[in-house]
Amino acid sequence: MTQTLDFKQIRDLDQALIDLDVTSIGVDRMIGRWINTDAQTRGLQEITIKQTGAQFSVSAAGAGTNGPIEWAAQSVRPLANLEEEAGQRGITLAADFDFGFMKAETYLRVNKGVLVIVLFNSFRDESGRSDYVTREFFYCAE
Amino acid sequence: MEFAQICDFVGPETINRAPMDVSGLPGVWINSNPETNGIARIVISEADEGLSLQVYAMGPDGLIDWGVATIQVYGSSPSSRTTAGFSCRFNFGFAESFLQGMIMKGLLVLAELRTFKDQSNRADYFVREYFALEHQRY
Repeated sequence: MTQTLDFKQIRDLDQALIDLDVTSIGVDRMIGRWINTDAQTRGLQEITIKQTGAQFSVSAAGAGTNGPIEWAAQSVRPLANLEEEAGQRGITLAADFDFGFMKAETYLRVNKGVLVIVLFNSFRDESGRSDYVTREFFYCAE
Repeated sequence: MEFAQICDFVGPETINRAPMDVSGLPGVWINSNPETNGIARIVISEADEGLSLQVYAMGPDGLIDWGVATIQVYGSSPSSRTTAGFSCRFNFGFAESFLQGMIMKGLLVLAELRTFKDQSNRADYFVREYFALEHQRY
C-alpha cells in the first residue's frame, strides 16, 4: 500500500525526511559550551547546549549590569537541516525563551564550526521598545 | 525597565513611539536559487493593519499559492524604528511553517521552520534561503 503525503512544496516530499537519523546528523557538533566571539557583547555571552536522549536543552548567559543574567529555554525542538551551506548537513534547534516582559524566539545552527543564533525578541510590556532581531556568533569552548 | 541582556535596555530619552518604518519590505521577493524546491516567491503588501505576506512555493506542476498571512515586524534594536526583519505563520493542518526573515544588505534571508502535524513520520525541518527584491530598474 502506498501512502499519499500532503505537501505544500516539493521539499516536503524529500525522502530524507523519513530517514529516522535525519535529526541526529551532526548533533555532536552542537553539544557543549559556546562563547561569544565578541568579548564586548551586550547580548548573550555564552550558550550551553545539552542532550538527554532525544531531548535538548539550551541555556545562556545574557550580559547584565551586575553579572550574567540566566536564560533557560522553555522549549527546544530539533529540526533537520538538510540544505546547510557548502553541503553541510546537521540539525537546527528552535529554542523559545519567555521572560514575561519579553519573549525570544530563536534558532541555532552550526556553520563551519561556528554556532550562530538568531533572536527575534518581542516585548510584552508597555515600555515603548521596538521588537527587534539580532544575530550572534560563538566558538566552542570544549 | 526590565531586560534580559544589556542590549534590551533603552534609556527613556531614546524611546521613540513613532510608527515603524516598513517601507523596505513591500514588493515581490524572488528566491536567488532558481532550483529551489521550496518557497520561490514572496509578495509583501501593505494591509489595513500592518503588512501581509503571500507565499508561492514550488510544486510538481507549478507554483503553489499558500495564501496570505499577517506579519510581525522587528527593528534592529529596541530603539530602532526601521524594519530589519519579520515573522509569520502558515498553518496547513497537516503541517505548519514559521517564517523568520532578516534584511541583510538588501537581501532577505528567510528561515523556514517546518513542523509536520500528520502521522507521516516526516522529520520537522529547517531551511534558510536568500531572496532579492524585484526592482525592474536594469
